[in-house]
Amino acid sequence: MSALTRPWGHLTLAGKIILPLVGLVIALTLLLLLGVATGVIPALVLFGGSLVGANLPIVRFIVAASAILLMTVPTAFVIIYMEMKFIAFINMRLGPNRIGPWGTLQSTIHGFKVLAKEDFTPTGVDVPVFTLAPVVVYLSAVMTLLVLPFAPGLVGVDMNIGLLYFFGIGGLNVVGLLMAGWSSFNKYSLIGGLRAAAQVISYELPLTLGVVGVIMLAGTMSLNQIVLLQAGSFLDWFVFQQPLGFLIFFIAAVAEGNRAPFDLTEADSEIVAGFATEYSGMRFGFFFFAEYVAVFILSGLITVLFFGGWNAPLDLNPLLNWAGLSVNTGLDFGRLGVGLLFLIALGPVVGTLLLALPFWMLRSDWSVLKSLVIGFLLFNLLIMGAVGLYLAISFEAVVGLFWFIAKTYVFVFVFVWMRGTLPRVRIDQLMGFAWKWLLPAALLNLFVTALAVITVDAIR
Amino acid sequence: MTGLWYILGFAFAGISFVFLTIGVSWLLSHRHKGDRHKGLPYESGIDTYGDTWGRFGLSFYIYALLFVAFDIEVIFIYLWALVFRDVLVGGLVSMAIFVGILLLGLGYAWRKGVLTWR
Repeated sequence: MSALTRPWGHLTLAGKIILPLVGLVIALTLLLLLGVATGVIPALVLFGGSLVGANLPIVRFIVAASAILLMTVPTAFVIIYMEMKFIAFINMRLGPNRIGPWGTLQSTIHGFKVLAKEDFTPTGVDVPVFTLAPVVVYLSAVMTLLVLPFAPGLVGVDMNIGLLYFFGIGGLNVVGLLMAGWSSFNKYSLIGGLRAAAQVISYELPLTLGVVGVIMLAGTMSLNQIVLLQAGSFLDWFVFQQPLGFLIFFIAAVAEGNRAPFDLTEADSEIVAGFATEYSGMRFGFFFFAEYVAVFILSGLITVLFFGGWNAPLDLNPLLNWAGLSVNTGLDFGRLGVGLLFLIALGPVVGTLLLALPFWMLRSDWSVLKSLVIGFLLFNLLIMGAVGLYLAISFEAVVGLFWFIAKTYVFVFVFVWMRGTLPRVRIDQLMGFAWKWLLPAALLNLFVTALAVITVDAIR
Repeated sequence: MTGLWYILGFAFAGISFVFLTIGVSWLLSHRHKGDRHKGLPYESGIDTYGDTWGRFGLSFYIYALLFVAFDIEVIFIYLWALVFRDVLVGGLVSMAIFVGILLLGLGYAWRKGVLTWR
């Protein structure tokens, strides 16, 4: 109550954010009730439904594109936090532990800090190229997400040339790095950009040749089809038929993502920050945003190609059926009618009060407000848990998404682990390794796979 | 054709996302012109000399040449791999000849010391 009587200028930052939100919620609730009472909202819902029905593919595409683009933001935050925390543990430090529980909000705060920083254009740079370079780098990373199958039915576009599209768009990365290095009017940037170009094009070859074995076995380049072919138990995953291909692909992917131990393009202890030296503010932020999104995408591609994508390691359905756990939840929300609206409106209030009551009664040192806040948070957690459980039981897409994300983050962890453990290689070792070892190994893998396919075909 | 429209639409969405974020950052952040030292390129505290965009020793343009040769090879290999189950032995022999010629070129470059970074 004291927060309301105090003048606005004396409020804390949290109060300034929360008070308008409370007002907004009350206003929205009133508007909703008014709309339902006058019959405006049902009419609007019907109209919107007909509009969506008429343009279903376009609506589906807009939703998918926005979801994919917005998904990259929390993904980058999670990976940055993982990197800070795990490398800290590897170095026997504590890592971020101030903002949020166990420092979990540290990377989010970093992101907002970059957003609020001055975006400075130094004198002498080639301004259009300088501005477009982060756009090209970010787009080359994020556009490959369009063909990545996240779960059954959850893929942007299922192209029959998915893999070729992936490498084609991913290859545009080089152009962005060269643009950044060239336009910066800085010798460090130029060296960094040229190093990046040499490294990325050299590792492009093992990366693309490493998956030829998978294409041969699958007979298709559609990523969705490749995942479907690996259904069954974990023994059907292509990594057991293509161990050398996986190894080559993984090493090349680390180099393509400019990650340690192959992070010579930004080598902060040698050439300051490489191509990103002259960048600041959000344009700088997008380079690193793109880098972390690329880590996620490359891990996702490894999962899709070699580790069965969204397939579960073991098919648990027979076991569940045997235990009598196959639940069929056919909740019919339509039957509830207007009752549903009251449930949505009253549910949070009643739930919050009910959950807050025990705290208020048992903890005499807690104020009413604190018990209410805790009750509200608990209520939300419960609702989220219930909804998650319902979705997981009802839709196989949720289970598929869980397995895809779980496998992908295993590889993200390996990327972070390598960064915390391995020293950076020398540039001549880097280039020599790509051309003298990985490329011949990839070709060897190709011919061995071809011979194996022929042998299996002859035996059949 | 619809695939192309999806790609273009997604590219447009991505570009809008980037420029919207940069726009929000432009609204949030402070801007200050500073003196001439603020705009100088950062080269570890030493004033820059000469022209950055002058002649520059590229010791690795040969990598780019090799890359072009091999990357076009990769396109052929992908199509070959796609139909491999139909061509089998004949396809393997012809691909071995094709890759063999390219490997001869790689061996020549290796022998000449091109693959050693200088």
